[in-house]
This record gives sequence, C-alpha cells and structure tokens, in this order.
Amino acid sequence: MVVGDVTTSTDVLVIGAGPGGYAAAIRAAQLDLDVTLVEKEAYGGACLNRGCIPSKALINGSKLASKAGNSEELGIYADPTVALDEMMDWKDGVVDQLTSGIEQLCTAAGVNLLQGTAEFAAENKIRIVHQGEGQGSESLKFERCIIATGSRPVAIPGFDFDDEYIVSSAGALSLETVPDELAIVGAGYIGMELATVYSRLGSDVTVIEMLEQALPSYERDIASVVRQRAENLGVDFHFGYTADSWAASGDKAVLTAVPADEAADDSDVEITAEKILVAVGRRPVTDTLSIDAAGVETNSQGFIPTDSRCRTNKEHIFAVGDVAGEPMLAHKGSKEGEVAAEVIAGEPAAVDYQALPAAVFTEPEIGTVGLTTTQAANEGITPVTGKFQFQASGRALTANRTDGFVRIVAAKETERVIGAQIVGPEASELIAEIAAMIEMGAKLQDIGSTVHTHPTLSESVMEAAQNARGKAIHKRN
Amino acid sequence: MVREFELPDVGEGVAEGELLRWRVAPGDAVSEDQPVAEVETDKAVVDVPSPVDGVVEELRATEGEVVPVGDVIVVFRVDGETDSDGTEVTPPDDATSESGQQTDDEAAPQPAGDAQSDPAVTQSVQIPAPPSVRRLARELGVDISSIADSSPGRITESDVRAYASESSTQERSSHQTAAAKQREQQPAPAQSVSSAQMQETADRETTVAVPKTRHIAAEEGIDLNTVPTDERKDGEPFVTLETVREYAEAQKTDREAVTKREATDEPARPESRKPYNGIRQSIGSAMTSSKYTAPHVTHQDEVDVTALVDARSDLKQEAEEHDIRLTYLPFVMKACAAALQENPQVNVSLDEANEEIVEKQYYNIGVATATDDGLLVPVVEDVDTKGLLEVAAETYEKTQKARERSLSPEEMRGGTFTISNIGGIGGEYGTPIINQPESAILALGEIKKKPRVVESDGEETIEPRHVMTLSLSFDHRVLDGADAAQFTNAVQKYLRNPNLLLLE
Repeated sequence: MVVGDVTTSTDVLVIGAGPGGYAAAIRAAQLDLDVTLVEKEAYGGACLNRGCIPSKALINGSKLASKAGNSEELGIYADPTVALDEMMDWKDGVVDQLTSGIEQLCTAAGVNLLQGTAEFAAENKIRIVHQGEGQGSESLKFERCIIATGSRPVAIPGFDFDDEYIVSSAGALSLETVPDELAIVGAGYIGMELATVYSRLGSDVTVIEMLEQALPSYERDIASVVRQRAENLGVDFHFGYTADSWAASGDKAVLTAVPADEAADDSDVEITAEKILVAVGRRPVTDTLSIDAAGVETNSQGFIPTDSRCRTNKEHIFAVGDVAGEPMLAHKGSKEGEVAAEVIAGEPAAVDYQALPAAVFTEPEIGTVGLTTTQAANEGITPVTGKFQFQASGRALTANRTDGFVRIVAAKETERVIGAQIVGPEASELIAEIAAMIEMGAKLQDIGSTVHTHPTLSESVMEAAQNARGKAIHKRN
Repeated sequence: MVREFELPDVGEGVAEGELLRWRVAPGDAVSEDQPVAEVETDKAVVDVPSPVDGVVEELRATEGEVVPVGDVIVVFRVDGETDSDGTEVTPPDDATSESGQQTDDEAAPQPAGDAQSDPAVTQSVQIPAPPSVRRLARELGVDISSIADSSPGRITESDVRAYASESSTQERSSHQTAAAKQREQQPAPAQSVSSAQMQETADRETTVAVPKTRHIAAEEGIDLNTVPTDERKDGEPFVTLETVREYAEAQKTDREAVTKREATDEPARPESRKPYNGIRQSIGSAMTSSKYTAPHVTHQDEVDVTALVDARSDLKQEAEEHDIRLTYLPFVMKACAAALQENPQVNVSLDEANEEIVEKQYYNIGVATATDDGLLVPVVEDVDTKGLLEVAAETYEKTQKARERSLSPEEMRGGTFTISNIGGIGGEYGTPIINQPESAILALGEIKKKPRVVESDGEETIEPRHVMTLSLSFDHRVLDGADAAQFTNAVQKYLRNPNLLLLE
C-alpha cells in the first residue's frame, strides 16, 4: 500500500534524538518554538543506547566482579561468578530508564516526536519515511532545521559487521556470554574501554593497533599508565600491526594481522578469537539524509562544517554534535544543541567554551581538559606544570588505587590554568573542577588556595596546582 | 594592495539592505566567497561573500545600519603572496579528540567551525573571562578578545559594560557629527518645500521596503504606502530608509507649522518644542538614575553667618589684590571639607556590585554650575589641602570654563561631595538630587537678613542677622538622619565661626 505524503509544517525540525538533538529540541521548546524531533531508532542516540551509558554500566559491573575476586591483599577471598546475560539485563534496564526519561522530557517540554528516517526533499522540506512495509511516509515543511544525526562505527575492508564473528562497539555492548577470546582492532578509547571490560570478565583479550602506543591521541605518560594496567589484567598488545583478513574456523575466527610498516621484517600474526571487535573510529551520518537536496555542504570526511553559532552554509540549517565534527563527545553535542536552539530563538548564544573536558573510562580512568604542554607551546604560551602522584594521596591508598597522577598546565607568565591531564582513580570526575576553573579564568593560586576536603582524591588537584608554584605540602617541589 | 568592496546588489534590483551582522573583524584573513557579512533585504537575509582572498583592513558600516547598494562596506588588504591559500586553519586539538582510533588510515578530521571566522568567539587563545561574562559580551555586541588584548587580567562584567558604553558613546558622537554635517549641507528645510512634499503623499496598495525601514516607519507612525517614491523593485514601488526619514522629518515640520498657525489662531495655548538631547538629556538620565536608585532624604537647617559676612568683607579687598573675586562659596567649600573630615561616613560612595561602601580619604568638592545648556558640575580637588584663595581662584576658573563650555570631562570627574548654590539666584530651602556616585549634596540658600534672638551677657535681644539656609540631601542607603545632622552641625560650626577654618 502506498500512502500519499501528507505535508505538515514546523518552526524547528530536529533530526536525531541523541544528546545533541534532544537537548536542542527541549531548549527550542523552552524558548516557545514549535519543535518537531525525528528519530529513526531509539531516543538517546548512540550515547544512551550504544555508547557512553551501556559501556559505563558494563565497566562498573566488570570492575565490581574483578575487585571482588582480586582483593586478597585486603583479606577478601571470593570467586565471583558473572552471569553476563543478567548483567546485560541490568544494563538494558538502566538504558531503558534513561531513554524513556528523554522521551518524557521531550513530551513534557512540548516537543512533537516523530519516528522515521529523515531525508531532505528541498531546502525547507523533509520527507520522513516510516519503518516497516506499507508504513508510508510524510512530508514536513520547516523554517529552521537542526541536523543531529550523529555518527556510526567505521568498518574496515574485509571486516563487515556480522554480529557473529565481527562486532562493532554496539555489538560488544550486548554480548550474551563472555567470549573466551576477544580480538580488538584499534587501541583508541573504545577499544581500550572494552578491552578492560572483557579482560576483567575473564576473556583473553588481544589488541591490534597500527601505531606504537595505546590511546595514541593521548600523551605517552598518560597512555602508558593505562597500558600497564591493561597488561596486568592480561591484555596482549600487538603494536604496529593492522588487521588484514580473517577466516572462520569452526565457531572461532582466525584473524591475520600484518606489520603496518611493510618495510619492517616482522612476521604476520595470527590470532584466534571467538569475537573480533573493530573499533577504529566513527564516521558522521550524513549519507542517508539526501543532504544535497537541502544544499548543505559536507567536507571530505562527511562532516558538516559549522560556525561558532552552529550554522551550516545554509542560514536556516544548523548542525550539532558528532555530525558537525570532532571531537565526537556527547557533552559537546548537547552544548551545541542548546546553542543552535538559542541562536534560532534570536539569543546571542555561541559555542565559546574555553576548554572541553573529555574522559576515558579505562582502568585507571583518564580525564583531560584544555591544553597539554606541547599544545600550549605550539600556541606560543610558555607552560608551567604541576604534578601530583596518587601514590601520595591518602584517599587513593585507602581505596587501594594508586596508579596515575594529576598534571596541571598553566601559562608561566600569568599563572592562569590552561589545561590538565589526569590519569588515575575517578579522573573523569576530578577533571570537572579544573574545567570550571579554566572557564572562570582561574590562576594556579585559585585552585591551590581553595580548601579541598580531606581525605579525598580532589586534594591531589590542589596539590598539583601548588606544586606548579613550588608550594605543595605533600610532595617535594 | 587595498581593495574597497561595495555592497553588491544582493538581490534583484535591491537598492539597500540592513547590515545585520559582521562575520569578520578587522585583521581576519578571508578567502574568496567566504561570507563577510549578513545583509537583510526586503526579502531575505543573505550572506555577502568576499570577492577576494585577503585580510580585512577596515569595516566601513556598523551593524544595524541600512547601507545603499554601491557604498563601500569593507576594505580588504590583498597580498598576492601570503594569502594564496586563504585562511590559516589551527590544527585540531587532539587532546580533546576522543576518536583517536589512529588505526584508521585517514587523518583526524579538522574541527568544524574553522570554515568561518567569528569575531565574537576566539577558540584558540583562552580568554580569562567566565562564561556569563562572555555571554554578556555577545549580548552587548562586544568583541571580548579586544578587551583581553588591552587588559591582561581577568575580565569582569563591569569591564565589558564599560567597554560597551565607551564604544557606543564614540559611535553616537560620530553619528551626531555626521548628522550635523548633513544639516549644514542642507541648510534650508523650508516649510514651503515640506508642504509641497506633503501634497505629494502617495496612496498605494503595496510598498516594498527592508524590515528596518518598516520598523522605523512604524516607530514614526508612518504608513509606508503614503511615502512618495520613484524607485521600483520587481515592478513594485520601493521605499528606502532615507526616504522614510525625510518624509517623517517633513511631516514633523509640517505638523509644527500647523501647530504654529493654530497658535496664532488660539493665543491661549502657545508652546514650542526643542530637542531633548545632549547635556539636557545627560542631566535627565543622571538625575533619574540618582533619584530612583538612592532613597533621598533632605535635612534642612539654617545658620547665622553674620561673622562670615564680616570675614568675607574684611578679606575681599585683600583677595582683589591677588585678582581673586572672593565669594562665600570658597568658605562653604572649606567648611564642607573640614566637616567631611570630621564625619568621614558622609564622604562615601556605594559600590553596589561589590557590596561595599567606599570611604574616600580625599575631599574633592563639586560645584553645581548653571550654564545656558544646563547644569554642569566642575570639581575642585583636594579642597582640604588648599588655601582659601587657591580654592576661590580654582572655583572661579572652573565655573567660568563651565559657562563657556570649555570644561574638560576630567574636570568634572572624581567629586566626593557636591555643593549647589541656589541662593545665588534666590530661594530658601531646596531638595537637591545627589550627584552620584557621591552620597550627599548640600544646597545653599540665599543669605538674608532676618530677625534673630541673640544672647549676649545673659541678655536676649532681637537683632537683624545674616542667615543662610542649608539643605543637605543624603543617600539613606548609606547614611542615616543622625549622620546628616551631625555633618550639618559641623558645617554650621565653621560657617558661624569662620575663624575656626584657620585651624584647619
């Protein structure tokens, strides 16, 4: 049955209900605009359904199991059994609670919700194709549009996702049993987080990385703390290798990795694994949108270039989140979503954060914000740094988690805080203080003179700031 | 090489457009076809693309201005060698990039947003201002990086406000000059001409105009369909902002003419109008602001100044030998400075932003001076440390300059207390308005001879005495009635017995 298109209209059309899209829709509705939000799969986007939230749930679950079974030095003897399907059910419950919360928030704010895949028909018109045979489509005219279609995992040639042998991060977050062996292609943050999860749950994990370092976009001293810990958990690394091909052998896959540098005379490596996780990056979703019909430009990587007010080359079309470019972070998308909605409502909003915090939930965690010393130097700022090892933190010792350190980067001349890198327990939480300090234009002394609760990990931030000024109490400056 | 860029015809036959927003700032590198400005025409908002690769040298139009097509709006510096590849793109910040899956063969994509530079947001260099202040800057249309350039410390809300008001003052004065020039060029807006224009009032069904023109027309209460025009666009009559302004002016003149004619017919209701602007308007807004922020209380009293009258007539001759005209004012100023020293709680201003009361340990006394254009308040600094003649000379010089309008703004700043001498013209009591940020002002009444009871050797007699009235208005947020009374008592003490000033 073909159902004729019915055309309706809306002030603001938001495509995609991930962190960027739903934030944009809710803010636009708060600003009394007539808003329609189109989502083709599930509310909450990759973050809630296939990314941040489910991975953090599994990270927490696996950490608990691993801690319980590996705390003999504290006098705890246990041999926990993990029923992965039950852990997955619990995780799904968390996800459901959050996604239905998003739906309720949107509805309460007065956002019109539509299920379907959006395709531009013209500059001011979109076609929404409903899923399922005979469900038909409808057309929607809009005054302004916010594209928030996000990103999806990149496949590499010869390794198509089949959810049997080859899985993406989404697949790895919904396995029913713990694989005996897991091969991971890519030692970026997704690969390293999932390597941590499955090694803690008892998989034999092997990671193949083209470059010579785990977490290649992080500084070496940060990344090596995580790598060391992963190796202690039993993760094998093959640096300088790329995944070349694979073949099924019974219920296992045999992966062949070859040296990335062909000139190197290293030999090929064969890895037998129950599952192969390909985590080599994410690509913006702009190919399903018929974006040309709207005249919106994309760059060579498929991203939609935007200005600081989230505007595309088309005055009335905005793009936010992963689809608008790196870094692909949920909180960046949400911020941009709010800005786009406010700009549409005529407010003087702009994406003007001084520094964007980011976290990696490995063991231990990484939290970064602002500039590294190298980046500072590249910008012509002479940096001064302060460092504090968690080894010297009373709280870290009592938690039996003493890996890592806090490093604060400041401009030498003004002592203004411009960045920080933390690797260690709760780094993802600790980084927030420094992000706020940077936004407020704080100096080292501002952090150093702020009283921090004892005994907490946050004291390490204060000590690092004081160390940069040669005034730390609990370490030699 | 410098290339002047005129506002192009952004639509079909558009005669003018409102410059909504600059997308570049002086010093920005631009590449060909990069949008430099947003212009709103009667139909749409369009981006005006750069015709060249180069660097923005100067912006010739301000945001909100209606610019005729063909006027130069921006000047580019075109340098064939360095600008061949257009804008400089900052390298991506890979510390915050979480997609670091470098196994992938492509390099990390560049962050979006580099494509178009935006003066309101500079990402590469961190600005020492909290988010609320950065937002305020955008609200006020201030490029916060230019404040950061001039002050190395943390940027506060007041820095941004100060910068905004400074630039708007400059803008306003340049507008005023432009308007003045225009007036000079068109010296005779003769009434006959405007009447003729009136007769030409059009009566159309539709009129095309840019939104700003419509807005101004609505403000002036003008129906666009009545504005005569020869211009057409897409076959429709088109009205420019300039035409509307001229028409509005002509109508106003005409209305006045009618009013005047009516005035001769009905002599009972004569009135005339003059512009409320310049000093008059500044006084108006300062007084309104003072009266509505500071709860005023006026304390009134009188003082027997017979001794002061004698002292002044004794010293007058002496002063004249120094070419100084000695009035009573310098005595009062010295008395006030002495009284302020005794009552430091009066010499204060309220810093509301920081929730602090600022006590000044210097005594700069303003003298409210009537001029033909309105009230000006020259300030005599450090009255406490200057001699009577010095104060007299400086006060005379400055009030004279005020009347001649040659007083510099610096000479009107920094006062801690003001004296208004209404008595010079006549009158007893007043309720003066505080000259903020000061917290008190003293109005002096006329010195008159009045019968007063005088006690001498235990005998009371009624004698004619010289009496002056004092009206002290004070800011009840920071001062109470007792403070005002104590201060006034101190002033009275010095005026009753000016010899005490010798001890100062």
